[in-house]
Amino acid sequence: MKNWPWAILAPALLFVLIGLFAPWIMTHDPASQDYSALLKGPSGAHWLGTDYLGRDMFSRIIGGARTSLVAMAFVLVAALAIGVVIGSFAGYVGGKTELVLISVIDIALALPSLVIALALMGVFSGENFSWMSDYWKMIVALTLAWWANYARMSRAVVVAELQQPYIEAARVMGASHIWIFTRHILPHVLGLVVVYASADAGALVLAIATLSFLGLGVAPPTPEWGQMLVDGMSYIEENPALVIIPGLALTAVVVSFNLLGEAFALQKVPRAVRGRFLARKKAARAAEDAARKEVEA
Amino acid sequence: MLKLDRRSFLATTAGLSFLSVLPRVAHADGHADTLRVAIAGETGDLDLLQNVSTLSSYSAVFDALIHYGPGGALEPGLATAWTIAEDGLSISFDLREGVSFTDGTPFDATAAEWNLKRWMGVADFSWIGIADNYDNITIDAPNKITVKLKRPVPAALLELTIVRPVRFLSPKAAAGQPIGTGPWIVESYSSTETVLVRNDAYWGEKPAFGRMELKVVPDELARANALRAGELDVIGGDWVAALSPRRAKALEGEGMTIVAEPGTATTILGFSPKSPMMQDKAVRDAIFMGIDRAAVATVLFEGYADPTADIFPTTVPTAGARTPVPARDVAAAQAALTAGGWTGDASGWAKDGAALEIAFLVSEESFPGSRRIAEMIQGMLMEVGVKTNIETVDNATMHERRPNFDYDLTFFATYGAPYDPHGSLGASFVTASDTGPDGKIYVHPDLDALVATALETGGDSRQGAMQAVYDWLRDNTAACPLVVTQRLWAVNPRVKGFTLPATDYDLPFKGITLG
Repeated sequence: MKNWPWAILAPALLFVLIGLFAPWIMTHDPASQDYSALLKGPSGAHWLGTDYLGRDMFSRIIGGARTSLVAMAFVLVAALAIGVVIGSFAGYVGGKTELVLISVIDIALALPSLVIALALMGVFSGENFSWMSDYWKMIVALTLAWWANYARMSRAVVVAELQQPYIEAARVMGASHIWIFTRHILPHVLGLVVVYASADAGALVLAIATLSFLGLGVAPPTPEWGQMLVDGMSYIEENPALVIIPGLALTAVVVSFNLLGEAFALQKVPRAVRGRFLARKKAARAAEDAARKEVEA
Repeated sequence: MLKLDRRSFLATTAGLSFLSVLPRVAHADGHADTLRVAIAGETGDLDLLQNVSTLSSYSAVFDALIHYGPGGALEPGLATAWTIAEDGLSISFDLREGVSFTDGTPFDATAAEWNLKRWMGVADFSWIGIADNYDNITIDAPNKITVKLKRPVPAALLELTIVRPVRFLSPKAAAGQPIGTGPWIVESYSSTETVLVRNDAYWGEKPAFGRMELKVVPDELARANALRAGELDVIGGDWVAALSPRRAKALEGEGMTIVAEPGTATTILGFSPKSPMMQDKAVRDAIFMGIDRAAVATVLFEGYADPTADIFPTTVPTAGARTPVPARDVAAAQAALTAGGWTGDASGWAKDGAALEIAFLVSEESFPGSRRIAEMIQGMLMEVGVKTNIETVDNATMHERRPNFDYDLTFFATYGAPYDPHGSLGASFVTASDTGPDGKIYVHPDLDALVATALETGGDSRQGAMQAVYDWLRDNTAACPLVVTQRLWAVNPRVKGFTLPATDYDLPFKGITLG
């Protein structure tokens, strides 16, 4: 039991590594069609067999990991940035501005993120957005559907921290708003939302796959697990591997990220990892202590 | 304590197995005189004037003056004979005598006139040539009428075979009551099932069984599983409950009878007439030559499709001379681009600073399986150096973008029998026609004139006028026909004598006996 957090990390870590080094791991071009090798089982030439167009399943799974990783990273970074900026601003400024922004956040949170993303994809599919590729439509839609949670958390942290005496002390000493926010508050905010984002990554991978499953995400021939699932559905009777393989990959990654997030929340992650993620938080705490001592002196 | 030795265990198992079989035996016995057919959508009340009910169920209940027979042969229906005036401006019909609607109302000239006036000369049905050019109807005798037209309509007789709105309803039928003269009477209908019982007073060949249950099963795999489980007898038909080639192959290996016959509808790759890229004939030629139609038919349709380079298959009347199906030729496709002023190779092409990149609009909702065909074509064109971006959209978006030609490439299909060739030509290749969300395959002023001439030309000149349209489409590479999908049905072994209905807009029951 002592080492179980490392086991939790393995699929997520593997996913990230495979995503990063996909071009060097793939044995075939994932888009290359071979009509002489349709729906073949695993072999030396094709480790996980081939799909209905004779494409190498192993390479498509690896390529799919990269597609999901890149899309997930874009959405997480963008949603996190938007959420932190809006939430922190609302919490720091307060008053009517906070009320308005909180209302917007509440409205965004009132609907499931996937429903918002689907609605936005519907809007983006119109003539006015035909200049955008399906991939970027999906990134933008998911970002706009995902930021609100981070905004709510950021605002809550900011409001809590503003009540602390050391903030009052910093103000008394003439520290600027930007100084107070960036040196004393932002590290707390990031400490929390980054931990939350680690758990959110799994949900995001699933959302990307869901949109692709519905035909609204990544465009062919780019391999993507959700798309592989839906394409394999037509062949589920005679070649269930077309559904099982991407399904297993998706399940492993989502479960792994969820457990990782939970482990973070319960502080069960290995010390080295926890230390890396929480280093910023400790540094912030040290800065606060220093400021407090300075005021007391 | 219960003691279970081997003998009692076997006896118990055998008993339980027998008991488990009983319901199925009872189930089969209960359906001995019933044909159970899958339908993809509910039939509704079979309103002949509203586009709400699935098309496939009308022909079981309602008759037309003329019926569409195998190969497009015109067969007597409620009219036993017809005569077209030499000037083409009137058509006289001898009505079948002794026929009554199933509510007892006699079918005669008055009933025929009442029915025809419901849609002839009505703006909503101007897409039907005979309705658009209708002048008046005269009753010549109790069982003889004449329809007079403002202009000749060469396809008038074929138009009278279509499903809606031309079929005949009892003039005394209340709203929502589907009462016709056909071989079946609607006993009940709901969102899950429509039950038909045999019309024992039917004027034609009566069905050999007394009851037909149309089960609504929207999902194709669920339909196949229901057939396997013996809960359905027949599945298939593009407009009834489509059966995919892949599923047909699987069912064939499990002892089901698969009936496949040459189809009447062509799957076509349409080039947008408003796309600057697609207005370059060199690009259209490159796409036309860069696609392996035989591979599409074999790989994605399991051989249940026939590659084609023509707009209409020979199963449709006046389909024109055959164009040899071109073999895929990457070098010729690239040569066409070079001749058109494009520079490049398999890695990409450019002209006047613009890269050759095509938007390929696809909707699985509008055309199931189209994304896989698009992926295959994308791979083929990639080897030519033509980059295609597949845009997968929902039905609503497809219906918005297709009429506006907001795409470079997209899929179309001709209507098939009994609507073609006049139906698809008059709608999908004419600038002024109103096709609503379906869009048009290709339009051009020169083509408008040719189609207008073809649709107005009758008699011996008709074939030549139609051929002029086909030649123009081929010479200008105005569209890229891919395959003609075969008509596919899967039948439970208890169904004997299954023959395909004349069109996929009809239900199968003629000649069928139940074992």
